[in-house]
Amino acid sequence: MASVKLTDVKKIYQGNVVAVHDFNLDIKDKEFIVFVGPSGCGKSTTLRMIAGLEEISEGTIEIDGVVVNDLQPKDRYISMVFQNYALYPHLTVFENMAFPLRLLRPRMPNAEIYKRVTQAAEVLGITQYLTRKPKALSGGQRQRVAIGRAMVKDCKVFLMDEPLSNLDAKLRNQMRAEIILLRKKIDTTFIYVTHDQTEAMTLGDRIVIMKDGFIMQVGSPTEVFDHPNNLFVAEFIGAPKMNIVKSQLLKEGDKYYVNPFGSKIEVGGAKGKQLLAKNVETQDILLGFRPEHVRLEQNPSASNFKVTLEVNEMMGSELHLHVVAEDGSKLIVRIPTIQLNDKEREEMVYGKELYLSFEGKVMHFFNPETEISLLSNQESPQKSDLKQDVPEE
Amino acid sequence: MEKEKKVVETNPAQEKTADQIIKENTALRDAEIKELKRKNEAELKQRLASTDSKEERKRIKEQNKVDLYNQISEIKNKYNDLLAHSLPSGANKDKRHMGMKSKRIIGNTTIYIILIIMTFIWLFPFVCILLQSFRVESTHMVGYIIPKQWGFDNYINLFTKKAFNDGGFGRWYFNTLIISIFVALIQTIIVLCMSYTLSRIRFKGRKFLMNFMLILGMFPGMLTMIILYRVLKDMGLTESHAIPGLILVYVASSGMGYYVSKGFFDTLPKSLDEAARVDGANRAQVFFKVILPLSKPIVIYTLLTAFMGPWGDYIFATYVAHHEETGMNVAVGLQNLISSEQSINANYTMFCAGGVLVAIPITILFMILQKYYVEGVTGGAVKG
Repeated sequence: MASVKLTDVKKIYQGNVVAVHDFNLDIKDKEFIVFVGPSGCGKSTTLRMIAGLEEISEGTIEIDGVVVNDLQPKDRYISMVFQNYALYPHLTVFENMAFPLRLLRPRMPNAEIYKRVTQAAEVLGITQYLTRKPKALSGGQRQRVAIGRAMVKDCKVFLMDEPLSNLDAKLRNQMRAEIILLRKKIDTTFIYVTHDQTEAMTLGDRIVIMKDGFIMQVGSPTEVFDHPNNLFVAEFIGAPKMNIVKSQLLKEGDKYYVNPFGSKIEVGGAKGKQLLAKNVETQDILLGFRPEHVRLEQNPSASNFKVTLEVNEMMGSELHLHVVAEDGSKLIVRIPTIQLNDKEREEMVYGKELYLSFEGKVMHFFNPETEISLLSNQESPQKSDLKQDVPEE
Repeated sequence: MEKEKKVVETNPAQEKTADQIIKENTALRDAEIKELKRKNEAELKQRLASTDSKEERKRIKEQNKVDLYNQISEIKNKYNDLLAHSLPSGANKDKRHMGMKSKRIIGNTTIYIILIIMTFIWLFPFVCILLQSFRVESTHMVGYIIPKQWGFDNYINLFTKKAFNDGGFGRWYFNTLIISIFVALIQTIIVLCMSYTLSRIRFKGRKFLMNFMLILGMFPGMLTMIILYRVLKDMGLTESHAIPGLILVYVASSGMGYYVSKGFFDTLPKSLDEAARVDGANRAQVFFKVILPLSKPIVIYTLLTAFMGPWGDYIFATYVAHHEETGMNVAVGLQNLISSEQSINANYTMFCAGGVLVAIPITILFMILQKYYVEGVTGGAVKG
């Protein structure tokens, strides 16, 4: 149980490849933090620097107030679960889980080791496999053993590096739920790395969204979903991803409007007030709206726009409609199946013309140049840095 | 009655036609292809005549080539299908099968004959030595292979005969064993540590070191003979003190033989090391508790090769021991037995017996450990 503090942490690989840029983050005691981002964004590197498996090029990492930059992994009081489980093939499940305890000095008495391992095995439901070798276990069981091995030791921080990505989809959902339960039982600081935004949203107290070595946004799942700081976060979080269209933001008196595809939709609720408070002027923007916030309209009107249906994906509880607007931009729309009657569902075929509209409360506005949200309070230096760091070829 | 008649009629027809049908089929097919080609040629000429552009002609020609190929394949397919249907059921298959089978038998026979000849050539000297070592009627080199009188005299003489001053076969054998065991142990430790380090730890000059050792290893070891002798002589490690000297020589450059075991370590997932380090192990503990238990094949392979090197070595041992019999290893001692014409005649069968005794420990070791040996040699290649 400990806080973790990263200050200006940088990772520079040989040949001046910067994998992580000035990473600043305060992780509170017992917090569940998720690093998420596309592959190559530096999330695993950051985790491995915390674990002590990668050298820290610049900056400091503190665990519980102690700078650990030069400490060996074994002296950092951390536990880690690896993506490929990394079980010791020559040891039984019991010995695998006992391995960290046997290395403790002064020696831990055998009785205590036995007690801890069997307890952990019970929690994870692997008691009956304790005498087996890892070879004789399924993927899910191996993952449990790996978690068990990390659990038995008293650690300050529990690190997980994509622990579920080697499992099949069904097992992954199950293990995800178990990790949430486990977290309640272990009650320590968790740092979890994943590329899957669903895992990030469901597990994290706070999510750190990364791209190309920069933190794009840090926030609770609700925050990053409802108020993405920039275009990248907006598109990365949520599935299917947010629709982004070119539009204009029009200020008329105290009211704001957007005009995607020749329509005119009023910006309502809190968003309008926020825009007014920031005194945003009429300008070109990238307009974002999530597929689930789109409504089907029966008739054309000034507040909706016409699209043509291309693909209809029947997901069971909802339809994912891939549509093309008049200017050729592609959009995705999610319509709950329950809203449509049988006839309407049958009519959803290629070439059907639909009229779409969306709530004024749930739209997002991004500066087309900087890709930062107009409502964001963060000055986002990352983007400008990013441009400078593009290697000149 | 009618049915039987039919059977009688059709049967000979079927048996007769299996070959004929194929022939007919092929003839028809070839005729059709010929006709097609003829037609195509005429057409092509017409088409080429219709245009003046060189490019266009080239295009037409190429297009024609493709079309013609496709048409021919169609015809071939058609006739193959026809053949499959018209042949009596199973006839075609059987025929092909028979062809394959006889081909395989011929192929296998040839291979076995070659192998047997090679085995004979290869085994002949060994069998000779074995037989000679049991010959007791004379100690001379003789013109026949099978002994007239059998016995263990040569083996007994090896250990008892006083002709060897204070040296003697027992002493040489023991010397070699000591050298080999020490070299095997020390060299294995050095090689494994070296290769693990090169496989896992990234340090400055790693690449250079690896390349340097690779190039250094390309020079024959003989080149160092004279200087090594000088060094050992100055250290007082020659002649009767040759054993520690030899151990030193064999072990000194062993780190350079890191390739095979590094290849093996490279195939063990790095996350195992990392997991162990996070679990609280230091580098040495990672190596001894996690990596070594997983590397049994390569440990045994390294031990075996390290043991065999000094066991059979003659060149280094001969000049380090010089003429001092107490410092000789078994190869040098045995050679000493037959160094002159006179001693050949006196000791030849004994020499053979000594040769057999030298082969025994290696043979036993290999029999027990060959499984691991093969795994060690191929491990790096396959598991990657």
